[in-house]
Amino acid sequence: MAAIVRLSSVCRRGVKPLFYQSTFLARPLAVPHTYKEHPYQLTAKIHASQALCAGSGSKAASLHWTAERVLSILLLAMGPVAYFNPGPFMDYSLAAALTLHGHWGIGQVLTDYVHGDAKIKMANAGLFLLSTVTFAGLCYFNYNDVGICKAVAMLWSK
Amino acid sequence: MSSFFFFFFLISCLFIFVCRTLARQGACVSRPQYTVLFRHAAPMGTTAKEEMNKFWAKNAKLNRPMSPHLTIYKWSVPMMMSITHRGTGVGLSGAISAFALAALVLPGNYPYYLDLIHSLYIGPYLIGLAKFGIAFPVSYHTYNGIRHLWWDIGKGFKIPEVYRTGYTVIALSVITSIAVAFL
Repeated sequence: MAAIVRLSSVCRRGVKPLFYQSTFLARPLAVPHTYKEHPYQLTAKIHASQALCAGSGSKAASLHWTAERVLSILLLAMGPVAYFNPGPFMDYSLAAALTLHGHWGIGQVLTDYVHGDAKIKMANAGLFLLSTVTFAGLCYFNYNDVGICKAVAMLWSK
Repeated sequence: MSSFFFFFFLISCLFIFVCRTLARQGACVSRPQYTVLFRHAAPMGTTAKEEMNKFWAKNAKLNRPMSPHLTIYKWSVPMMMSITHRGTGVGLSGAISAFALAALVLPGNYPYYLDLIHSLYIGPYLIGLAKFGIAFPVSYHTYNGIRHLWWDIGKGFKIPEVYRTGYTVIALSVITSIAVAFL
C-alpha cells in the first residue's frame, strides 16, 4: 500500500488502474467496481509505458537513441575545434565521428524504407560494408595524404 | 596544451551528459516499488518490430497497392524541411563515402587533384557557386540538426514555434553559406 502511494507521487499518469490490477490478482473475489467499468484504461496503461513491459524488453534501442544524440553534439563541437586546432588528432576524430554519424543516419533511413527480413539484413550488411570502406579510406587519407582538416583548408584557399 | 584541457573539458561534459541521461532513463525501473507492477502487468504477445513486419508481409503477399500519400497530402514547410534534412544527410554521407573511396582507389595525392581542378580555369563565379554548393548542405543539415536536438529535449513543438525555428534555420543556412563561399 505504501509502495502504491509512493508511486502516485512519482507518476501522475494514473496509478488507480494499476492499483486495481494488483488487488484483483491478490483477491479475485473483491473486484473493484471501477475496474469492471474501465478495463480498456488498464490495457492502455500497461502498453503505454516501457517500464511496465514485464522486464521482457531490452534498453538497446533507447540507449542507441541516446548515443546518436551524444555523437551529434560531439560532432557539432568538433567543427570549431577542428577550425582552431587542426592536426592529426582532429583528422582521425572527425573521420570516426563523421563515419559513425553517417552510418547511424543511413541506418535510420533504411529502417524507414526497407521492409522484409531478408531485405533489411542485406541492406544493413551493405551499409556496414560501405561505412567500413569509408572509415578505411578516410584513415588512409589522413595517414598518407594531407588529412581532412588540411584538405578542407586547401579546398577553400582557392 | 590548451587544446588538451579543452578536450578534457569536452569529454567530461559529455560523460556527465550521458550519465545524467542514462540515470534519468534507468531511474524509474530500478526502484523496488516497480517490482509489484512487473509481477502483475500483462505483457504484449509480440514486439512492435514483429507487428510492423507482419503488416508489411501480409500486404505485400496480397499484392495490395499503397494508398496515395505523398501525392495527395498538402506539402508544408515543416514537411519539406524534414525531407531536405534527410536529403542533405544522405547526400553528404554519399559524398564523404565517394571521397574516401577515391582516396583508396585513385593514384596520385590530394594536392595533385586540387591543382588539376584549379588548372581548368573555372573562374571566380563558378568557384564561388561550387563553394556555396558544398557549404549549403553542410550548414542546412547542421542548423536543422540543432533544431532536431532542441526537439529531442522536448522544446519547440507548438506549431508557431516549429515554423519560427524552421524559418530561422533556412535564413541562417543561406546567410552562412553565402558568407563561407566568400571566404
